[in-house]
Amino acid sequence: MDMLYNILIAPFLEIAKSPSFFAEVVIGGLMSGVMYSLVALGFVLIFKASGVFNFAQGVMVLFAALNFSGLLDAGLSIWLAFPLTVLIMVLLAWCIERLVLSKLVNQQDIILFMATIGIGYFLQGFGEFLWTGNVRKLDVGIPQDAWFFGDIMIQQSDVFAAVVAGILVIVLALFFQYTRIGRALRAVADDHQAAMTVGIPLRSIWLIVWSVAGFVALVAGIMWGSRVGVQFSLSVIALKALPVLILGGFTSVPGAIIGGLIIGVGEKVAEIYWGPLFGGAIEEWFAYILAMLFLFFRPQGLFGERIIERV
Amino acid sequence: MTTRTTPCAGSEAAETEVILDLDDISLSFGGVQALESISFDIRRHEIRAIIGPNGAGKSSMLNVINGFYHPQKGTITYEGVVVKAMKPYHAATRGIARTFQNIALFKGMSTLDNIMTGRVNHMHAGLLAQALYIGKNRREEIRNREFVETIIDFLEIQAIRNTPVGRLPYGLQKRVELGRALAAEPKLLLLDEPMAGMNLEEKQDMSRFMLDINEQYGTTIALIEHDMAVVMELSSRIVVLDYGRKLADGKPDEIRHNKDVIEAYLGVAN
Amino acid sequence: MFYREAGDFKTTYKADQAIFPIALDRWFVVTVVLVFLVVVPLLASNYMLESILTPVLILSIAAIGLNILTGYAGQLSLGTGGFMATGAYMAYKISTAFPGLNIVFVLIAAGLCAALVGIAFGVPSLRIKGFYLAVTTLAAQFFLLWLFTRVPWFVNNSISGVPTAPPRKVFGFLVSSADSDPIDRYLFVFIITVVLALVAKNLARSRIGRMWMAIRDMDIAAEIIGIRPLTSKLTAFAISSFYCGIAGALWSFAYINTVEPTAFDINRSFEILFMVIIGGLGSILGSFLGAAFIFLFPILLNVMPGWFGLEISVTLVTQVELMVFGGMMIFFLIVEPHGLARLWSIGKEKLRLWPFPH
Repeated sequence: MDMLYNILIAPFLEIAKSPSFFAEVVIGGLMSGVMYSLVALGFVLIFKASGVFNFAQGVMVLFAALNFSGLLDAGLSIWLAFPLTVLIMVLLAWCIERLVLSKLVNQQDIILFMATIGIGYFLQGFGEFLWTGNVRKLDVGIPQDAWFFGDIMIQQSDVFAAVVAGILVIVLALFFQYTRIGRALRAVADDHQAAMTVGIPLRSIWLIVWSVAGFVALVAGIMWGSRVGVQFSLSVIALKALPVLILGGFTSVPGAIIGGLIIGVGEKVAEIYWGPLFGGAIEEWFAYILAMLFLFFRPQGLFGERIIERV
Repeated sequence: MTTRTTPCAGSEAAETEVILDLDDISLSFGGVQALESISFDIRRHEIRAIIGPNGAGKSSMLNVINGFYHPQKGTITYEGVVVKAMKPYHAATRGIARTFQNIALFKGMSTLDNIMTGRVNHMHAGLLAQALYIGKNRREEIRNREFVETIIDFLEIQAIRNTPVGRLPYGLQKRVELGRALAAEPKLLLLDEPMAGMNLEEKQDMSRFMLDINEQYGTTIALIEHDMAVVMELSSRIVVLDYGRKLADGKPDEIRHNKDVIEAYLGVAN
Repeated sequence: MFYREAGDFKTTYKADQAIFPIALDRWFVVTVVLVFLVVVPLLASNYMLESILTPVLILSIAAIGLNILTGYAGQLSLGTGGFMATGAYMAYKISTAFPGLNIVFVLIAAGLCAALVGIAFGVPSLRIKGFYLAVTTLAAQFFLLWLFTRVPWFVNNSISGVPTAPPRKVFGFLVSSADSDPIDRYLFVFIITVVLALVAKNLARSRIGRMWMAIRDMDIAAEIIGIRPLTSKLTAFAISSFYCGIAGALWSFAYINTVEPTAFDINRSFEILFMVIIGGLGSILGSFLGAAFIFLFPILLNVMPGWFGLEISVTLVTQVELMVFGGMMIFFLIVEPHGLARLWSIGKEKLRLWPFPH
């Protein structure tokens, strides 16, 4: 009985007792949710256009951040370091397309997936080889003060991150909807072969998509790096983007955003209010178990398309 | 084996009992009507052809028969029993085997292993016997290997016994797939365009195999095929589908002279 | 020329179905087993036995386990570490609860516990496939490790949270705990490995192995010829986890002598996956080759520069290691999905002709 009370009733009483604390927890969750969303966004872009499940997206975030902060530390100004890093990410996309993807065309999904695990490992070693594995501080002038609304404290940097993420999503949406490349991308996402027959160059489309995903990774890396420093744990945290995708659906951009926010808020709230009952640190697995349960009821995700199998 | 020109078992078989009866089958995906109240039956030991233009619902029909799709309406009676919401593996255990329009072999396995896999429902050794490869499992493996070898001999594919099927040419892959279906010793064999993409010689071989299967093993065959010459020659009865509806049903001669069928195929307006 | 199958005629299907149909292979395997059973313990140093051969063998068991699941049944898993941890912690619980129980039965029981857990986390595979499984198996990895570190019951409320493995004997030889003789430990692990490898080979060439491969190659067709996805996928999860569980238990009992979560973290899961891919998907021999390579390469990388009088920092070694493993994984996926095992058989192919060019 006690157990049930503790699980089902007590946490809610606590929430009711101090709603402003609850609000802070939720906001904190939303902010880490934005980060998950940004990583997940990179996954979705690549998955939509090439059907490749890019496990290395998390490491790409780390790699971008390492390069950016490395260039800054080398004395370059932000305005020079940023485009240079973008260039590096494009170059990376080109290498991946040339050296890996083009060699694995028509292979099973699972093989491509495992290849991206290999890419992830390689990049991690390579990034640290170039810029050493020390934790770097990243300061790009994001405001670090806090605002107060009544009892509720909000970090300005969090708001900044949310705004940047929002702008990024809007820009990407416009890009997909209204440009020629965007249309081609959607065509490729629908059907590779059909897109090729109407003359859309598949390989350059893939290059563009991986570059855009690299760009998104850079933005995520800067945001994240400013909060916690540029370090290896970035790529581990980025694994959480996987359950985000299960929730949001692998092919949906809004799904990635909303899924990220749900996971971010869900795991923070669960940790603070329910965590102590189970000995704490349930944040480590909450997102994965949530995703697993979700798979039983809606395998295609909140916004994904239902798949009809044919023989 | 001799080549034959006369129509096969067909005419005698017309009088045998019904093995599969489809009554008023309707199937739709979302808003698309794939099959619309279709009824026909298949008699034991006959070769029954299903023909029709592309998109007529022929493959969907086979998918309904072996439980891959479940029709929204209608009843399926197999060997006198009404079957409901049957899973594909249930169909397999009840003696329905099939081949596919786009070859669906297990690419990483050899010809022998592919055909051996067709024997799954004839092997029953426990996990421990398999782990230690003793007793029942050893006997079963050898007994079934012998059976599979008869199929390999029958289909004349001895030379490619140990080749991974992914490396075989198209025509041979089709043959291996037929072998895998035969390995299950089916009562009802569903063949989805067994001769698509074959040259004349290969088609002759395949026709011969089908007739021999029908004759030697007494297997009932339901067949989808576009080559009219083959269909008219082999089958005892033909059902014609068009846009998910049944257009005609009867002996080859009747179909040959059916006005609706000629129109559907030649596209003559009224 | 000297390795050949010509003239090695088989007159019965029984002979053709034997585990090693070619006589020369048969003799080769017997010889290797005898060398590792008799010669190696006599000649090898304690360091070699204790710190290299024993862990490589244990990792091979885990790699065979993952190969059953990923290489044969085509189901991806990133939760190997979690299943190994289950085996280790359950072995600890069982052997402390029943101190009189022979360690062999403890291992089997721990393996069975891991198998049950494997089945539980394998259930989602019935509805989803491919990389979706990455997520559910990651759930297993993180949840199980959390469970074992947070619930004191699993470590008998030990204060440090990292209990030592209890000393246990087989036929009077001490095979676990720090006091045991490296030779006894090595032989114990070696015999278990050989038995498990033979069992895996038998399963792979029996009905169940063909069911796994059918599901891997084309699941829909497999279902239509009468294979139940439920039984074949869940048996793959169960048997794979059984192997991983035994590997985890041996790792704690016969190698590191403690039961600790860090030995089974997410990096372990990736490490085993690398072994399977580099060694060869769907090959028992490959599991051994992969395990040896992945375990030995970093050691070589540490030692080798010394031979040439070069200094190389520890961080540089890890970085190079990451790059080489990542690069090799991609290389093998592109060039030779059957991994080192395939290179081995190509070598045999060549040997068959040698010294003639054709």
